[in-house]
Amino acid sequence: MFETGPNWRRDVAFGAVLIAVLIAIPFLGPSRYFIGQLTLFFIWATVVSQWNLVFGVAGIFSLAQMAIFAFGGFATGMMGLYLGISLWFTLVLAGVGSILFSIIIGLACLRLRGPYVALLTLAIAQVMYLLIITDTACFYMEGVTCRNFTGGTRGLAKFGDFGFRELLGRREYLKGDYYLSLFLLVLATVFSFAIIRSPLGFAFRALRDNPEYGVSRGLSRFKYQLLVFAMSAFFTGLAGGVFAGHFRVIGANVLSLPLLLFLISMMVVGGLGRAWGPILGAALVMLADEGMKDFVEIRNMGYGALIVAIVVLLPQGAAGGLEQVWDWGRRQVLALRGGADRPAAGRAGEGRRE
Amino acid sequence: MERTASEPLLTCQGVDKYFGALAAVRDMTFDVFPGEALGIGGPNGAVKTTLFDVISGLNPATAGSITFDGRTITRATPDRTCQLGMARTFQLNAGFDTLSARENTLIAAYFGRHNRLVPGMRFDRETQRLADEAMEFVGLDEVAHEATQTLPVYHRKLLMVAGALATQPKMLLMDEPVGGLNPQEIDDVMALVRRLKERGLTIMLIEHVMRFLVRLSDRVLIMHHGEKIFEGSASGLVYDKTVVDVYLGEGSSRRLRHLLEDQPSSDEGASGAP
Ligand SMILES: Nc1ncnc2c1ncn2[C@@H]1O[C@H](COP(=O)(O)OP(=O)(O)OP(=O)(O)O)[C@@H](O)[C@H]1O
Ligand SMILES: [Mg+2]
Repeated sequence: MFETGPNWRRDVAFGAVLIAVLIAIPFLGPSRYFIGQLTLFFIWATVVSQWNLVFGVAGIFSLAQMAIFAFGGFATGMMGLYLGISLWFTLVLAGVGSILFSIIIGLACLRLRGPYVALLTLAIAQVMYLLIITDTACFYMEGVTCRNFTGGTRGLAKFGDFGFRELLGRREYLKGDYYLSLFLLVLATVFSFAIIRSPLGFAFRALRDNPEYGVSRGLSRFKYQLLVFAMSAFFTGLAGGVFAGHFRVIGANVLSLPLLLFLISMMVVGGLGRAWGPILGAALVMLADEGMKDFVEIRNMGYGALIVAIVVLLPQGAAGGLEQVWDWGRRQVLALRGGADRPAAGRAGEGRRE
Repeated sequence: MERTASEPLLTCQGVDKYFGALAAVRDMTFDVFPGEALGIGGPNGAVKTTLFDVISGLNPATAGSITFDGRTITRATPDRTCQLGMARTFQLNAGFDTLSARENTLIAAYFGRHNRLVPGMRFDRETQRLADEAMEFVGLDEVAHEATQTLPVYHRKLLMVAGALATQPKMLLMDEPVGGLNPQEIDDVMALVRRLKERGLTIMLIEHVMRFLVRLSDRVLIMHHGEKIFEGSASGLVYDKTVVDVYLGEGSSRRLRHLLEDQPSSDEGASGAP
C-alpha cells in the first residue's frame, strides 16, 4: 500500500467534527486536569505534525525537533523577561527565529545521510541541554538571588504568560491556553496537510525515495532539504513558546531523551509520513500513557509493548490502518451500489488522485 | 532530420573525470547533433555510465568543457541540466518507489521543465496533460495508478522514459534501456525509440545489446577504459580492428556484419558484452 491520494471531503468533514467537539469540551465542565492534558496534547500533536514533515514525508532522520521547540520556548521566555515585551509579540518573533535556527541545522545536515543526520541532530540537542544546565554565571541579581541567563537547572521563569489569568481570572484562565493551543494545532495541521498534498510534498517524498533520480528530474536537494527544515520549524517554535507561556516556565528538561522518545513514538504509532498520523499517534500514545499512570511498575513496559505491537501489526501506523479500513469499506459500498465495477473502481470512482 | 544545417546540440571538449587519482573519463571530445542518435558501446567498466553522470551533472567533470544548447553546463547541477532540456534514464531501475507511476511522471513534468521558485498548491492542468501524454506515449496509461515498486522491470524501464519525456527534453540520455529485457520487450523498446526519433528528439544511448545499438544509432562511439576508441558509422564498427579486439570479438562481429548487411534479419543479435 502507498498513500493513494487525498480524500479532501472526508478529511475536511472529519476535521470539522473534531474541531467542533474540541471547542465544546470546556463548556461541558471537565476537570482542570483534563483541560491541562488536552492542552498538552495540542502542543505535542503540533510538534509531531511538523516533525512528520521532515522525518516521515522527507525521510530525513532529524532528531532536532525538540531542539527547535526549546529554541522557540526559550526565545519566547527570554525576550519576554529581558526585553519586557508581551509574550504575544515575542512568541511570533521566536517562531520566525526558529525558522532560521532550523535552516542552520538543515545546512549542517546537508551532506549527511541516514543515521548520521540522527547523530548530528541529537548532538545539537545535547549541546543545548548541556549549555543550559551548566549555565551558573550570574546574569542578574534578583534581591540576593543570582539568576542565570538561561535559567540554568532551575529553568527560566518570571517572564509572564499570555494574559489569560488577568482576562479570565484564576479559575478560568486554563481555557485561554486551551483554545490558544487548539488554534495552534489547527493551523499547524492545515499547514501540514497542504504541504503533504501539494507538489512540494511530492518533491519531499521523491527525494526521500530516490535522491539521485529526484535531482535528475529537476529537484534541487539543497533547496528542498532547506525548505522542509524551514517549513517544519515555524509551528514547532510557536509550540515551544505556547508551552512556555502555558507553564510560565521553561527548562532544559524539554530536551530530555525520554520526552524525545515519547514524541517519536507518537509519530511511529500514528504512521510515518501520513497526514492524519501525528494527531492519531499523539492521542493514542497519550491515552496509553494516561491509562498506565496508576501502574507505575508496568508503565514503561506497557508503553513499550504498545509501540512493538503497532510496529509489528501495523507498520503503516494507525493512520495507515484506518486508511485501509476506509478503502475496504468504500469498495464494499461501491460494490453494493454499482455491482459490476472492476476491483479498481474504488480508485477510479474517486476521480483525481494525487 | 536537420543534421547538416546545424550546430551541435551537445559538445564535449577534452572532458576528464578523476575519482581521486583514478582517471575515469579521459579526454573525451565529441559532438551530438540535433535529431541524431549517438550510440555508446564498450565493455563493462568502460566508464559509459560515468560519462552520463558527468554530462548530466550528477558527478561533474574535473576538466574540459561541456556545452549544451548554446550554454556551458560543465558545472551545472543535474536538476539544472534537466530543466535546460537534458533528460536521462538509468541503468538500474530508478524511480520514486512509494508513489504511483503517474505521480512519478507528474513530478518530472512539474519540476523538470523549469525551475519552480515557489511551487504551487497543486499540479496544474498543463503538468497533468504532459504527464498523461508521456504515460500514454510509452504505453503505461493502464498502470498509471499502480505503486511504482510493484511494477515489473519492463514497466519500470518505460516509466523512466515517461518521466524523461514529461520534462519536455531536447535530448534524451538512455543508459541501457533494454538491459535485462526479453527479445519481445527489446523489440517494443526499439519501436519506442524509433518513435522518439521521429519526433525529432536527440538521443544518446548506451547499450550492450548490439542489435539494438547498431539499428537505432546514426553514429556509434565505442569506449574503453574511459577513452574513445572509435567514433563513426555503425557499419564501420565491425571493420575496426581495435573495436573487434577489445569489445566485439571475432564471433560477434561476424554476426553483427550479417545483421548490418541483412537488416530485416531476425538474427538474435550479437551481444557484444563478454
Ligand atoms: N564515485 C566513484 N568513485 C570511484 N570510482 C568510480 C565511481 N563511479 C564509478 N567509478 C568507477 O568507474 C568505472 C566505470 O564505471 P561505469 O559504471 O561508468 O562503467 P560502464 O561502462 O557503465 O559499465 P557497465 O557496462 O557495466 O555499466 C568503474 O570501474 C567504477 O569502479
Ligand atoms: Mg553502466
